[in-house]
Formats: sequence, structure tokens, C-alpha cells
Amino acid sequence: MTRQTRRTVVALCFLLPNFLGFLTFTVGPVVFSLAASFTNWNLMKTVPLRCVWFDNYVKLITEPEFWLYFINTAYLMLGMPIAIAGSLFLAVLISQRLRGMVVYRTLFYLPSFTAGVALLILWKALYNPTFGPINLLLEWVFDGVGLVQLEPPDWLASTKNVLALAVERVEIVSRQFGLGARDALIIMGIWTAIGGGNMLLYLAGISNIPRDLYEAAEIDGAGHWAKFRHVTWPQLAPTTFFIVIMSFIGGLQGGFEQARVMTQGGPAGTTTTLAYYIYTKAFEEFQIGYASSVAWILFTLIFAVTLVNWRFGSRYVSY
Amino acid sequence: MKYVFLGSFAVLAALSVVAGLWHPRQTDDRIELVWCTDDNPVRRGQIALFNELYPRYRLRIDPQNSGMQKVIVQSLAGVGPDLFDCYTGSQLVAYVRSGIAMDCTEALAERGIDIDAVWPCLKPLFVYEGRAYGHPDNANAYDIWYNKVLFDEAGEPYPSGDWTWDEFIEVAQRLTVRDERGRPVQFGFIGYWDYNAALAQWGADYYTPEGTRCVLDSPEAVAAIQFMQDLIYRYEVMPTPTEEMAMSSAGGWGTGVLGLFGAEKGAMALGGRWWLCLLRDEDYAHMRLGAVPLPHGPSRRQFGGGRATLVNATGQHIEGALTFMEYLHSKEWSQLVNRQADALGPVMKYHYGEYEDAFLHNPEHPEEDCNAEWRTALEDSVPLQVSSYVNGQTVERIMLVQLDLVKANLKPAAEAMRDAAEKINKAIVETLRIDPVLRDEYERAVAAGARPAWDDEEGAP
Repeated sequence: MTRQTRRTVVALCFLLPNFLGFLTFTVGPVVFSLAASFTNWNLMKTVPLRCVWFDNYVKLITEPEFWLYFINTAYLMLGMPIAIAGSLFLAVLISQRLRGMVVYRTLFYLPSFTAGVALLILWKALYNPTFGPINLLLEWVFDGVGLVQLEPPDWLASTKNVLALAVERVEIVSRQFGLGARDALIIMGIWTAIGGGNMLLYLAGISNIPRDLYEAAEIDGAGHWAKFRHVTWPQLAPTTFFIVIMSFIGGLQGGFEQARVMTQGGPAGTTTTLAYYIYTKAFEEFQIGYASSVAWILFTLIFAVTLVNWRFGSRYVSY
Repeated sequence: MKYVFLGSFAVLAALSVVAGLWHPRQTDDRIELVWCTDDNPVRRGQIALFNELYPRYRLRIDPQNSGMQKVIVQSLAGVGPDLFDCYTGSQLVAYVRSGIAMDCTEALAERGIDIDAVWPCLKPLFVYEGRAYGHPDNANAYDIWYNKVLFDEAGEPYPSGDWTWDEFIEVAQRLTVRDERGRPVQFGFIGYWDYNAALAQWGADYYTPEGTRCVLDSPEAVAAIQFMQDLIYRYEVMPTPTEEMAMSSAGGWGTGVLGLFGAEKGAMALGGRWWLCLLRDEDYAHMRLGAVPLPHGPSRRQFGGGRATLVNATGQHIEGALTFMEYLHSKEWSQLVNRQADALGPVMKYHYGEYEDAFLHNPEHPEEDCNAEWRTALEDSVPLQVSSYVNGQTVERIMLVQLDLVKANLKPAAEAMRDAAEKINKAIVETLRIDPVLRDEYERAVAAGARPAWDDEEGAP
């Protein structure tokens, strides 16, 4: 055995445990779920397992429920631009060299290392329509500006939404306009995301921007805004690009914990996302084949969105 | 470095093999039975009594894995419990059809267990197509709970129980209290959103007798659901979803009625005797409780239910699991359940005759003077209808969406029930499309005159 071959064997041995784990716990289930999506598997012994080819896919595409839950998923992603902009804003703020900045950084990052379920329960209490601090504050503001007739939102108990989407059909209905459960989840999502991983990525990006670029801009007479617009923002383009892609992926996969802990997918299914739908179909209704096909459609969507992002978004990354 | 790696790998591999082969030695010779059930505090006493009566066994509960999906998946993987709970007829159908529930009809008979001795409304929880798969643990039917303290504060006489819904609404309206802003402080009534109670009282059925078609769009079902909506929006004696959420201590959509009643947010509530498992707690010592039968609806019947424990066909200790069935059928079990107030014992005879006094009067809780009411409620109960042709969880999901809309006053009851029936019938057709065994059964039933789930050939599977 040559030295090179021995080195290769040793390297493969190092990689083997991880590779085996990857094959067993990632590739295996992925391939299995793809195969399952072409079957009628529903855990019932009275139903002989057979290949149904694309039946599950045809069924889900023609089923209104799937599209409603897809819209719910997309709707919950509406907060994404605000969350990203907020993260950038915070990162710029806390990148300043000021006393006590470590404390601020820790505070802003707090939602990311606090137990998710605890946060969800806390928000549930915050959204209490009568005694929750949010509505008490809104009532106080409304009273203060003389708008006593205005009622604060019902939050998690309401099917209303800012796009006035109907509950059971894909259409706009004016009486559905307002703030409801979906908006409550968006606001909570923004709060969680602003000070999280995105902020850290931006912070790392900002610390990597060469100081001489700022110095050159200052010599040219640039103010704070001009320096941000012409130095910081273009230099952060790769970070923004990465964050946008990851946020899209996370958004399309999201909504499960919120639905499970806060709303059970309600009211009237308005907070049921595709991820939660997969869970209910697979583990409550035992339609494993059908649920697998929803999962693969979700994967295809994520893949397509990422490709589009890559194709068009990378134009704005100049280096 | 490579030797360190190889050495570590070898050690880890060896440890994995040892872990796979090694079984911890039991602390005694007793056989351990695993029962997937909830972690209700009363289980301690129930386990202790079993272990005392059957010293060969040591019973242990596994509450973390009591969800239906976990039981099925674990059992199919060969690591399921010996015993698991079943709460509805549709769950039983799923357990039987997935091959998890064991047919123990003959084994029960050999042990002298008469499955007809239990409350009739419990049959669908453990008997499917004439075969028994376990035994019920308890039996539950609804009464109206009322809080005597709140009645006294309002100067309202306690209800006698012989009343109509009109009379009930008048009382509930007098007991509904709002603050100066019109926000609810206390409701006259909470909890009627258990739609099965309304459907039963209005004489509505879920399905045709053969289970071949959902008939929730019937005038009776529409009237029942409309009445529930009226309790909120017309009579204003029951909370809207928003008010219910606002009154709950934890906050949030879907909060339990028992918690609201315990927090004195409602003067009356629809509930079962098992509420006492919580309400006997010192935290609720300030409450004085009474229970009376439901007001008379168009029909006197109500849907009764409870919980059954089934024997796992893939379990390790079938003999032990069958012994547990004997325990559930015993006098000791029924009397323990009655003392603990975990609803009522499953076997009817232990509530009458020589056993009646022990059932009616619990010396530890002499204030509980309405046990006869719970028995009467069970006597009036019929089993909740189940169709083999549709997944019960699917039905529940469809109903919850429609009822959310009715509850929020976004949809009239008639429209909601029409849509619910249409979706459930579509789900029946879908089941028939994939399940040849059920389809054969279904076709035979339809040929014999049962009404199919579709109205024209286009909708047929």
C-alpha cells in the first residue's frame, strides 16, 4: 500500500462514522419518504401497500386545503423583510464602540437562547385580548388619542388578517380585514428573529468591512447615511444574500411550534402551515404516503425558491 | 493519531454492542407491565391496588408515549407497551385496523369477564365488529356542574335538574356578570362547545345507521349547532372565543373549560364527574359544588363515553395484560374508581343493590351528594356513533374548523354543517378508494339499502 493510499484510507476512516450517520439518519429517511410518497401507506393492515404513482401529488394539488395552508405559510413569511431589516439595523447599532455594548448584545440575543416553548407561552399571555399587556397598552393609547370606539385586536382568537384573506377559500373578503392570529404569529416571529442569528451574521459582516473604506468615504465628505449606503450595505451584500435564502427556507418550513403550542392550527385552520399539515396528516390521520408527498412538494418549493433567489439575488452580490 | 481514532472507534463499537445486549437486572422477580396512559394523580392508587392484588406483576405507566401515533409507531417497531388507552370508537377502529389491538374475546370469556356487564355506551371503545380488544376503565356522561358560592352571591336558588333549556338560559343570564366596560367577569355557563352533547340532545346522528354516509347536515344537527351559537351571540350566556381566551389564566385559544370553571369564571359548566380529580384539590376548597342533569332538549339522550385499555398484540406480556383486564372488571377496580371520582367505574352492577351505598356516599367526601345524578346521566347515555369508513381524526379536524367559524359567528350553523358533512363524505369516498376490504364491506351495505356517501355516480369512488 502506497503512502498516498494509506492516507486516503485513514481519511476515509475518519469520515466513515459521520458518513454512516448521514446515510442512516438523513439520506435513508429522505429516500424512504420519497418512496412512501408514491404509495398508499396509511399504517392500516387492511390496506395492502401498493404503488399509487402520482395519485398523492395529484390529490394534494387539487385539494383546496393544501393551497389554503400554503397561503398560510406564505403569509407568515410576510414579516421576513422587516425581520431582516431589523437585524441589520440592530447589528449596525451594536457594532458601535460604546460602553456596555456587551450587555446590549446579550439582551438582543436573549430570544435565541431562551427555550422556544417558554417564549411561545409567554407570547400567548401577552396576546390575551382583555388582560394582555399588548391590548392594555393599545386601549390606553386609543383612550389617550380619543379613539375610544376603537377595539384592540382579538389576536390568537381571530381569523382576520391584514390582507383580508378569506378563511376557507382563496379570495379576499373585506370583513376579514384586521389583525388576527396570523399577524400575531408574524409579530412574534419578527421579535424573535431580529436579535437572533441574522443579527450575529450582520455583526460579523460589519466587523469584516475594511476600515479604510470608511476612512476614504469620510475624506470624500460622506455622512452616516452615505457611508451606510455606499459602504456598509454593498459590503454586506453576500451576508444579506445568505440571510435571505436561509430565511426563505426557514419560513417555508416554519410554523409548526407556534401551531402546536399556541393555536393548534386554529382558529379555523388559519395558522396551519404546511409543516403542521404534514404532522397532522402523518401522525394524527396516519396518511403517511400523502404526508410524504406534501413534504416533497414543500421541498420542491424550497428548492425552486432558492434557485430563483440564487439566479436573481446573486446579481446584487458584486464580489 | 490514527491509532487513537481506531482505538476510540473500537471502544465505541464495543460499548454499543454491550449496550444492545445488556439488560438491566430487575430489582425483583415480578414481571413489569407497561401501561401507556395519562399521568392523572389517581393512577398512583390504581397501580398500587393492582400490584397488591396481583403480586406477580409490577405495573408501570408510560405517560410520555400515550399518544395514539406513538403507540402505533412503537408497536409496529416492536417496542410498544403492553397496555394502552383508547378514548373513542374511531381510535379503536384505527388500532384494530393497524393490527395493534389484540382480539381477546375468548381470553376474556375464559377469565369470566362478561363484556355486556359494562355500561352500554362504553362498547364502541373496546368492541369492534363483535370482537373485544380490551376493557373499559371508566365511564363518563355529562351533567351540569354548578358553583353554589356563585349562586348564593347572586341570590339564585340552586337548580333542581328538572328544567328545560329556556329555563336554563334565564338562570344563566342572571348569573352572567360584566364589568363597567361590558367585559365579562363571570359567565352563566361555559363549555357547551363539546358539540357531541348538543348533537345528542337534539336527536342528531353523525352517520346513517350503517355508517355509510355522514348526516351532520340534518335539520337536527343544524338546530343543535345553531343553539350553541345562540348561547353565545343571542343569549350571551357563554363566552365568545375571544372572551374565553381573555378569561383563561394561561391565555390562549383552546383553553380547557375545567380550568375556567375552577377559576370561578363560570357559574355553570358542562362536565363529567372526573372533574373532581382536580376540583377536590385544596386550591378549589373555596368552591361548593353541585351537579344536576342537563336541561331537556328535544331528546333526552346524550352521548356517553370514557376510556378503555386495550391489549397490545405486539406486547411482551400478553398474559399479564389479560390479568389487567381481570382487574378492570373487578369490584375492587370499580369501587376504587368511584372513590377516586375518576368518572364512574366501568361495570354497571357495582353502582346498584348491595354496592349502591358505597357508590353514593364517600365517607372521605361527605359533601359530594350528587353521585346519583352521574349514574342517571350514564343510564341515559348512548354510544357515540363511529363509522369504519372514515378516520376519526379527519372528522375531528373537519368539525373543528367548521365549529371555529360558527363559534366566531363567521358562518351560520346550517352552512357549516352542510360543509362539514360534504367534507366528511368526501373523506369516506377517499377511504373507499384506497381500502379494498372496506370497499367490499361498503358495497355490500349499500346493496342492502344503506345510503352511500355520494349523491351521483360522479362522486362515487
